[in-house]
Amino acid sequence: MEQAHISNLCESKDFQVDSANLKHVRTFCREVFEKLEINQELKDELVLAIAEAAQNIVKHAYNNEKTEDKMEIKISVEDGHLEIGFSDKGRPVEEEKIRHRKIDDIKPGGLGTFFIQQIMDAVVFKEGEKPWINHLVLSKNLKN
Amino acid sequence: MSYKVTEEGNIATVHLDGEIDMDVTEKAKEVIMPLIEAQKEVHLNLKEVQYMDSSGISVLIESHQKAMELGTKVILKEISKSVLKVIMMAKLEQILNLD
Repeated sequence: MEQAHISNLCESKDFQVDSANLKHVRTFCREVFEKLEINQELKDELVLAIAEAAQNIVKHAYNNEKTEDKMEIKISVEDGHLEIGFSDKGRPVEEEKIRHRKIDDIKPGGLGTFFIQQIMDAVVFKEGEKPWINHLVLSKNLKN
Repeated sequence: MSYKVTEEGNIATVHLDGEIDMDVTEKAKEVIMPLIEAQKEVHLNLKEVQYMDSSGISVLIESHQKAMELGTKVILKEISKSVLKVIMMAKLEQILNLD
């Protein structure tokens, strides 16, 4: 089947690190994904993955503490390859500690990272370029 | 998120509305947990919930487990398509009481 053409784009926005802003993160993502010729189910999944990653910044990089700091979310698509970058100035991520809980261990918490991994093709933590501390990159091939 | 609670006999129905994320989970728990602690059978109507993330799913798990501990139950009613998808992604469709 012939694939629909997926436009290239690159958009970014800063959000103050606060759980109250997660709804604004979702609104931003929905607006960006409206510009892409992908199905609604995939759009919803991508919004969930981004919102979970943003939530992890609020929860883990900042311990859900009040801050004036901002996080940057950058969504780019090139040749059908989606890349979502998250930058923050919170506590450095200890990658070895990021592990979703075993899915058959039924308890509250630990599902966000599992959802991200289910939805995206790749999840990569990098050291942030100044002034950022953490840089997370989620990617997915939209042509699959 | 907004909500409405109706009670009939020992059944309390909580109609949740809107998007359930980390920012509103405490509010959701404040509504649901006292009903479970009062040993009501709690029906969560999720028809008008357009979005739920892992924090919302945690509230469902916590409520379910608390209810089991107290000998009552939480039943999820009229689950919206988007919420059902997240429940299934978390592989909880056999664990939670779905109606």
